[in-house]
Amino acid sequence: MTATTAAIANLKGGVGKSTTTVMLADGLAYFYGMNVLVIDLDPQANSSQMLLTERGVQAASDQGKGVHHLLAEFVAGRPAAAAPFIMPNAVTLEELRVAEEQDERRGWISSLPAHPMLRLRELDLEEEWYSRSGTPTTLSEALAAYLKAAFAPLQTVYDVILLDCPPHLSPMARAGLALADVFVTPTIADSVSTWGTKQFSDWVGRYIAPDLPSRNFVLITRFRDTRYARQVESELREIYLKDRWFGPTIPESVHVLNAMDRAAPDSYDTFRGKYAGVRNDVRRLAERFTDFLSQRTGASWQKIRD
Amino acid sequence: MAEDKRLNPADFLDRFFDVLREEVRTNPQFAARLVKTLGGNVVFEDETKAEITNPIILASGDKARFYTVYSPMKVADIKKVLKDNNLATKVDMNGKTPAQLVDMLYERAASKASERKSSIF
Repeated sequence: MTATTAAIANLKGGVGKSTTTVMLADGLAYFYGMNVLVIDLDPQANSSQMLLTERGVQAASDQGKGVHHLLAEFVAGRPAAAAPFIMPNAVTLEELRVAEEQDERRGWISSLPAHPMLRLRELDLEEEWYSRSGTPTTLSEALAAYLKAAFAPLQTVYDVILLDCPPHLSPMARAGLALADVFVTPTIADSVSTWGTKQFSDWVGRYIAPDLPSRNFVLITRFRDTRYARQVESELREIYLKDRWFGPTIPESVHVLNAMDRAAPDSYDTFRGKYAGVRNDVRRLAERFTDFLSQRTGASWQKIRD
Repeated sequence: MAEDKRLNPADFLDRFFDVLREEVRTNPQFAARLVKTLGGNVVFEDETKAEITNPIILASGDKARFYTVYSPMKVADIKKVLKDNNLATKVDMNGKTPAQLVDMLYERAASKASERKSSIF
């Protein structure tokens, strides 16, 4: 098994990057039994909160887990190893929890969580790096090399590694993008999001992945079924991002927001209960993304649930 | 109505208070907000308190008052409060006694109230 690394990224904020990350993690683990690692590179720590709760994020940080602790290792010049900083059990679904208890080793979700401290650590590092004549590019390259070494032993443990990137090109975000095999771009069907998405896409194509179209999976989220939204969606599919893979359009749903607010670190829900009216959308997302990965990597996965 | 120039001020007020009185009778959430705004103490009755109360606000205050409000509630109403406030899923509530449900409600509401206060990282 060699993990595929997917960066969930867009410069535009509020397009559903963290929600998409968690939906993908749940969908791939639940329907295909994939072992998924969610790495949160966003100091807002939203996907970490969704998986671990706010209390869980703080507890993880207090236990020395999290990306900001891994970054401290880089700063201190210590050997690269990510495993000690991972929370191995970030499953929120009852069905997957039961599987874990039975040690089936299918459908595990782990978290390398973020914490707001991450941004402060990055700022300290940037100040020091630039004071020694370093540049943003050399910093992100050094970080990418370090993270690549740190994540190498994980390649045989997980099927998919999801990198939840912040809505700006922080050094860690750039390093994460450089390590990605594929890019997931959530966006919203409105004009400002379309513009921002196209700009970001052009940037990634120029500086990170010249073959971007074959590595890019686009997901329209928070869709309100209006004439305007349908028009913008068509333009995205047929003009601006016409050469990309598209996932299912995810409707705007209050239930999704509620589903992402985990009640407590020991709270579990069934897949059906968690996703309710959008559960078929999450299933289609997992199916479509798996097709995309199969086409990219040649690997294939069997569904374990319908 | 305001366009009826023949109404005297007392009639205007009567109509206004009639509408207000009716709203207070039929809309317990509005009644609770109104009484609270006027500095009164809202007393929750069984059939309405599942709808009106915010357990996170109550849990951030006096624990005894919290239990006074929720302990007498029916199981279905406690479950409704837990679910409506995103404090528990059906899976979490399975097999719990009423007392355990109220304890869960308090613990999780109090946790939410405290963890959302700034920790300055």
